Amino acid sequence: MNSSKHQRSLYKIVIAHYSIGAVFFLILSIMFFFSIEVMSGHYFQPMLLALTHTAALGWGTMVIFGALNQLLPVILEKELFSIRMGWWSLLFLVPGIILLVYSFWVFEPGLYMQIGSVLILIGVFLFVLNVLFTITKGKQASSVFAEFILTSCLWLFLTISLGVLMVFNFQYPFLPKEHLQFLRLHAQMGISGWFLLLIIGVSAKLIPMFLLSSYQKTNLLTVSYYLINGALIAFLIDGYLHGLNFNTYFILGLGTSGIGFYFAFLYQCIISRIRKGIDKPMVQSLSSFILLGIGILVLPVILYYHIQNDAYAVQLSVLYGTFIFMGWVSTLILGQTFKTLPYIIWVKHYEQLTGKFKIPLPADLINNRLLSVQLIAFFIFLVSFLVGFLLRISALKYLGAVSLIMCSTSYCLHVFLLLIHKTRTEKYDRI
Amino acid sequence: MIAFDISNSSDGIKDKLITCLKTVIDPELFINIVDLGLVYAVKFDGKKMLISVQMTLSSKFCPMGDSIIIATKNSLERDFNNFKAEVNVVWEPEWNYKFISPEGLKILGE
Repeated sequence: MNSSKHQRSLYKIVIAHYSIGAVFFLILSIMFFFSIEVMSGHYFQPMLLALTHTAALGWGTMVIFGALNQLLPVILEKELFSIRMGWWSLLFLVPGIILLVYSFWVFEPGLYMQIGSVLILIGVFLFVLNVLFTITKGKQASSVFAEFILTSCLWLFLTISLGVLMVFNFQYPFLPKEHLQFLRLHAQMGISGWFLLLIIGVSAKLIPMFLLSSYQKTNLLTVSYYLINGALIAFLIDGYLHGLNFNTYFILGLGTSGIGFYFAFLYQCIISRIRKGIDKPMVQSLSSFILLGIGILVLPVILYYHIQNDAYAVQLSVLYGTFIFMGWVSTLILGQTFKTLPYIIWVKHYEQLTGKFKIPLPADLINNRLLSVQLIAFFIFLVSFLVGFLLRISALKYLGAVSLIMCSTSYCLHVFLLLIHKTRTEKYDRI
Repeated sequence: MIAFDISNSSDGIKDKLITCLKTVIDPELFINIVDLGLVYAVKFDGKKMLISVQMTLSSKFCPMGDSIIIATKNSLERDFNNFKAEVNVVWEPEWNYKFISPEGLKILGE
């Protein structure tokens, strides 16, 4: 495939993922509003299951899949194995997520839920194969970034596989232990195995590129990789055999120190950067890691209350989930969307015109007013919802939910405006 | 430092070439390709009406790589009437931040 044809195909698949992800984000925010009251109860609740899967699959994973189609060649320094495979993955994924989320929301653990889960599994399998073939093609030596990304994809596949088993277990109980025990393993595989490892792998390559960091060593990342994976495997084995117990503190310490090594790497990149100014989307992306840090701080508290058999552990689990999905993952995606999407749109409109005419830069395509509305609304959501949740003040929780709807609406509108961007040129002699 | 090879031309061509190449901006870093140190050599052949640029990119699969190459070619053909421009991308020496000029570093430090 020639370069411009390849770029056009890549453009379509990336845009498709981003657009679908934006719609899921809007739906997620509306679902969030209607789930406010049930959040005070147990997390194993139909509406919360629907909400979590919309956030994790429809929003987080969808945008990440789109971004990876664009970024894998940059990170791995080789062409994507197949764009067609990406389309097939999307074709299975979207109806699968819709069926699964709907079935959770109305809680009908029958055929539709089962079909939905299997469609998601096929979609994810195709995506993982595409990543695997992209990484293994050619003769280039593997990098720590590629190892993070491939391992995260394998964890995603395992997460979804366990999810499918749990869906079938609703109707045909066959799993040897109680459902909640598997739910914990499923969630932790998804959060630490998929989101965490993937985000570390991608950001560890891109952040130094954006910041022009002179720090080039990857030792800290290698240690981080083994600690996080070691902790996750230990958690799965110990969690399956004994559930949450005193050993979990040590496992948590192991995983947290892995994240600590990654933070140390980020710190080295930031202090050794040549580029001093950091743009708004990048600031938002970097600040998302603070929310990850806060989320992790909640974990030992959950563990403490769980071991004491205190029901407060359940409430804190919802808080942890909110920090991870609505805090860390969403903040990162909100920031990175307007770091990557303007470039994709710009290439389509201006690549052939650049140098001939005076044209805008990719950053000029961003609507700063909408970006500010989105940032402020998201900040209000986080603060008011979390304070409202902790102090059990309904008005604050609803204020947060309404702010989230404002944020998702401005995000969707912003994405839509970028998609309908009209080419603007000026002749050079008018400069 | 750019290596120039200028033949069959009048004075001031070198300055005109630099001025022209400086209009090509890296869209992420907002620095022109000369100060970024991406341009290694320029050959100006007045007889063949051909300008050849040897340059690199900051990474092999830079998403804006094609745009920067096209912009370089278009800018030269825009400012040098009736000339053809060609751009050869090379990966040796591999670009690193030490190639950025003092002017470029000043912009990045702001």
